[in-house]
Amino acid sequence: MSIGGSDLDKAIAQLRACRPIPENQVRELCYKARELLIEEGNVVGVDAPVTICGDIHGQFHDLMELFRVGGDVPDTNYLFMGDFVDRGFYSLESFLLLLCLKVRYPDRITLIRGNHESRQITTVYGFYDECVRKYGSANVWRYCCDVFDFLALGALVTGAATSLSPTEGPLAENAEAMPDIDADIEIETLNSAGEVMFRYARNSDSQTSESSQTLGSSPARPDPTPTRVGAAGTGASGSSNGTSRNEGGAVLCVHGGLSPLIDTIDKIRLLDRKQEVPHEGAMCDLLWSDPDDIDGWGLSPRGAGFLFGGDIVKRFNHNNDISLIARAHQLVMEGFKEMFDNTIVTVWSAPNYCYRCGNVAAILELGEDGSNAGFQRRSNGDRGGGGGGWVLGSNDGTSTRNSTDNLRLPEGPGRRYRVFEAAPQDSRGMPAKKPVADYFL
Amino acid sequence: MSDLAKTFIKSKLSSLPENTTNNSNPTPPSSSSKPPPSTTNGTNTTTKRPPPSPSPSDSDSSTSSISSTGTILPPPSQATPPPTTWPSYFTSELYLTRPATPNQPAAKYHIYLTPPQTPTSPLLILHHGAGSSALSFSLLAQSLHQHLPTAGILALDARNHGSVVWDSPSTPSTDFSLEALSDDLISILHLTQQYESWVSLPPLVLIGHSLGGAVITHVTSLTPTPLPSLLGYIVLDVVEGSAIEALSHMQTLLAHRPSSFSSVDEAIDWHIRSRTLRNPESARASVPSLLVIRKKDWNTGAGGQPGNWEWRTDLGATKPYWENWFRGMSGKFLAGRGAKMLILAGTDRLDKELMIGQMQGKFQLHVFPTAGHFVHEDVPEKTAEAVAEFVKRNDRSALVLPPKVSELLAQGKKV
Repeated sequence: MSIGGSDLDKAIAQLRACRPIPENQVRELCYKARELLIEEGNVVGVDAPVTICGDIHGQFHDLMELFRVGGDVPDTNYLFMGDFVDRGFYSLESFLLLLCLKVRYPDRITLIRGNHESRQITTVYGFYDECVRKYGSANVWRYCCDVFDFLALGALVTGAATSLSPTEGPLAENAEAMPDIDADIEIETLNSAGEVMFRYARNSDSQTSESSQTLGSSPARPDPTPTRVGAAGTGASGSSNGTSRNEGGAVLCVHGGLSPLIDTIDKIRLLDRKQEVPHEGAMCDLLWSDPDDIDGWGLSPRGAGFLFGGDIVKRFNHNNDISLIARAHQLVMEGFKEMFDNTIVTVWSAPNYCYRCGNVAAILELGEDGSNAGFQRRSNGDRGGGGGGWVLGSNDGTSTRNSTDNLRLPEGPGRRYRVFEAAPQDSRGMPAKKPVADYFL
Repeated sequence: MSDLAKTFIKSKLSSLPENTTNNSNPTPPSSSSKPPPSTTNGTNTTTKRPPPSPSPSDSDSSTSSISSTGTILPPPSQATPPPTTWPSYFTSELYLTRPATPNQPAAKYHIYLTPPQTPTSPLLILHHGAGSSALSFSLLAQSLHQHLPTAGILALDARNHGSVVWDSPSTPSTDFSLEALSDDLISILHLTQQYESWVSLPPLVLIGHSLGGAVITHVTSLTPTPLPSLLGYIVLDVVEGSAIEALSHMQTLLAHRPSSFSSVDEAIDWHIRSRTLRNPESARASVPSLLVIRKKDWNTGAGGQPGNWEWRTDLGATKPYWENWFRGMSGKFLAGRGAKMLILAGTDRLDKELMIGQMQGKFQLHVFPTAGHFVHEDVPEKTAEAVAEFVKRNDRSALVLPPKVSELLAQGKKV
């Protein structure tokens, strides 16, 4: 049978109910998905607005929660940065649902590859066993792995607005002092009920930097000390950097991070990606590397990829006209974490990872800059808050702290983080607790 | 198979000698009770000296074990040593003695050593788990030597596992705390350094299995660090969360294993049949060192029958320390200095702390699904590959990283 049109919608409905679809449908779906993905470049172009998501790891019910908080496909344009499978109990349903949505709405959802989208890793961390358990054979695992080889390695988001108009929703109970409502909002953090938890103005004055200090360990904490010079309004127009660059700067999305072998985005485009994730080299690094508070490059404790410091990120962003790198790959207890003067962010979308880590998850919404047809506020009754679209606005905010800070970086996009917790778990269907290790001492 | 072929084979089989067909039967009780030649060999040598080294070199080792420090090299006659003795896997066997000082009790440590070939080559320290022995690393050491020909390997016997620490001249210490075991490890390294006349300790990689993993993890957490040349450490199949969970079952496990064996072969057989060990070759190398012959104590009447092989180590006596061994291990593992790797057998059974650490990229994880708890014995080749890759990757003398941006700027380069 072929999977298309109404069949596809049926499959989506079935998967949304967390029920696997028959093996022949999986085969058909994977074939169609491959045909689609093969047409995509290694770096997929994506127009804002877009909602960027990190690791899912087979936590199907939390993926449903993500859609509740962020809006449904195709109403919301999504970008998933890989690691759909392994560790959670519903890798199969999660990945197949995302794949169905990709085939059904190819322009409204982008999937890029994570380090777990690999034959070797999935045989160890659960996806292989899950496929064999649910289908009695490894065929479905094989179809899925063939799709993994065609997933893009990165995405480049363009047309993102540089500031947010504040969400007119209620403030969360524990909300901190808010900047002036007239200020250009650079960062806003909302809880899963759509209540504003935190708001940060670009070129923030002492009042907001104070508030960010009181936030202490808040994930959205820009540096405790104000690193950006000049009050709001200085620098006038967004193109005042003296460059002809787009005022916003693009956002590069990749699962892991940078590679010493990759100094331009074009070099990513030249890779031959249609293969198993190699143990070393540029493709491996893009999927395995982590940012770290070091200078330059370091050995990754993971045994694959590299660690890279703020100087590397700033140079890369400068050379490639990027304002921000969005990546996943690392568990962040607060759901997201910005580093290196807001030049890179880690987004983690698997709440209470592996059903035991106790972390919250986040997704990152980027609005559009209005140069395209106006942004339509999604209507999603499930979401509290409401109001507040995205507005065009900008201010010059180049920081000058150390040598690499002298690099002029494009202004970062306005970033709205929606933080959410794990969905209430229905324990039925969960595999029994792992047997106690038959340890000898 | 065609009828013709069947008839042909039948006629061929019937022409074979009687005993050949007998061998294809499931092992009859009579043949299992008949000791194969290797047992005869082992039993013979025990008349001179009990294991761990039931090899022709025993006479040497027994003399040198009395002297303060001795090296036993394989005798020249031992051209093709049997696979069950240490000379196949290590260069030398050492007894390192330490007289009692005000700070430290007297000790006689038993180790196997293959020294590093160059001054910059790393030294891999192997610490076994409770109830096991240095020789459980035999096959791993052999594989490691192939992957890292210049690296040194030091496998040690813990106290009451082949080494002895004395509380007083006549009483062996029963202190089994993590702190005491860690002191032993550090002492062994320094005694080896003295014995080998190393100016300083070579770059070190600590590898510990089970309890050994807890010991090496504890050593990495000590401040100030006793081992400044530490490159990294590797823990084999132990995780705090699941180890603590399993402790309540340990007594049952202990109660269910035989308390003695009539022969070394029977003990090897038990380890294989019970799937405690899944690699017969490794079992032949390691199991003999786990056992001692207990002579009947004529005064009390205690002890087994003559010739009975019993466990060298009384694991039950270590019970008060079990929690001490594993409590806080995950935190120490993540916080220690140096590169870290965890190798697990069967399934990934990380506890919450290690799960977070792993997903934040703090250490390297390998899972070998086909292996049992004695992962280094069950899949020595795979374990060696992972260890060798880890050592090569973290060998600072060979490490070249791309330049920093600030260095490029300093050189006047455009970035």
